Amino acid sequence: MIALANPTRFLKLAATLLPWLWGATAIAFAAGLWLGLFASPADYQQGDSVRIMYVHVPAAWMAMFVYATIAVSALGTLVWRHPLADVSARAAAPIGAAFTLLALVTGAVWGKPMWGTWWVWDARLTSVLVLFLIYLGLIALWHAFDEPSRAARPVAILSLVGAINLPIIKFSVDWWNTLHQPASVMRLDGPAIHPSMLVPLLVMATAYMLLFACLHLMAMRNEIWRRRVRSLRVRAATMLAPAE
Amino acid sequence: MTRKQRRLTLIAAAGVVLASAIGLMLVAFQDSIVFFNSPSEVAEREVPPGERFRLGGLVAENSVMHGEGTEVRFAVTDTVSEIEVTYSGLLPDLFREGQGVVAEGALDGNGLFVADTVLARHDENYMPREVADALKAQGHWMDEAEESYGSGGAQTQEGGY
Amino acid sequence: MTYFGYVLASYLVSAGVIAALIAWVVLDGRAQRQAIEDLDRAGLRRGDRSAPKGERP
Repeated sequence: MIALANPTRFLKLAATLLPWLWGATAIAFAAGLWLGLFASPADYQQGDSVRIMYVHVPAAWMAMFVYATIAVSALGTLVWRHPLADVSARAAAPIGAAFTLLALVTGAVWGKPMWGTWWVWDARLTSVLVLFLIYLGLIALWHAFDEPSRAARPVAILSLVGAINLPIIKFSVDWWNTLHQPASVMRLDGPAIHPSMLVPLLVMATAYMLLFACLHLMAMRNEIWRRRVRSLRVRAATMLAPAE
Repeated sequence: MTRKQRRLTLIAAAGVVLASAIGLMLVAFQDSIVFFNSPSEVAEREVPPGERFRLGGLVAENSVMHGEGTEVRFAVTDTVSEIEVTYSGLLPDLFREGQGVVAEGALDGNGLFVADTVLARHDENYMPREVADALKAQGHWMDEAEESYGSGGAQTQEGGY
Repeated sequence: MTYFGYVLASYLVSAGVIAALIAWVVLDGRAQRQAIEDLDRAGLRRGDRSAPKGERP
């Protein structure tokens, strides 16, 4: 963390890591897709529609994991004033929003044949929609400030406030009755998924995780560059402008 | 160092306050956040005829009767109480006896629930057909099912199955 | 395969959104790198010690 405080060192590290990470992502996706689409059985109740799980569940997990990343980054901004914390949060937000959108859309596509509806306003679905709106709110707030360094703290506070939604999403299916079924994998008494379906799911989850690592590193690098360009332009403008 | 600790404490304190506030709100709105009511709750609350609500539970075994066209009658049970439901329309593919179901509609004067929407609710167990058949053949099916509704069992008082 | 259309739709949507994300980071990266090069050519350099300090990423 301390070594990474220097953006230049971070850029160097990212450049070394990225080719390996992209390679691992490609392999994980190839394995996950093959397992999920061809090498796994149909479910005894849901038939082949269970294959939607292999894209829906990892997207939903990432939606929450990316938000957790933003919340930790927010702590980094507020408590330690880490120079890369706001860069990390800002780079993660659009990726998290995209994963959340995917979880919502693939969930609807799964819900229609199984439940008989695209959407219901139960606690789980609604809280995930709220997560998506929080992502949009964070992105909008960042854009409301001209200078990134001024946006950092207000956005960090808002993202910590929004983090209260994470346990609500996770436990919504236990606290209230919902149309969405309770957790199958992340539960105290072990997964309720047969290994023939659990393995493809975990491989796909790994693929999504690696994909996020790649996208996040690249988006952070872009953000660092963007801020450099900005400060260079500001400096150029002040040098050209007559001194006041 | 102390400044960092002070900031951290401040954030933690604000977090505790916020979490308690949200927690209280959620407890207060408990009844409206719940997606459906079990037959027992409906009996207990004596929901008047004509008031719309969602009825959830399991489709009782041997209760499904198909009438003319798409008309269907079945009973929704939470293993304690049962409510008869009538519905006309397309049923979801997962609709079958012993499966979870959520019906939306209202009671008529005779205690019959007239539904205009029927949604299927499945449990969190996933397995291939062969495994399900093997479990049934070995007679382990019921313990498995009970186990899976174990989490639902905890909800029974709160209006799960 | 049962529910073929739904399964296909969910995988296509996922592929589409992920492809869009990858395109976004790649294109954005290219644009920023281009901007830095342009500024370089205009004679502005990050490591330029003569310029006032205070540049923060």
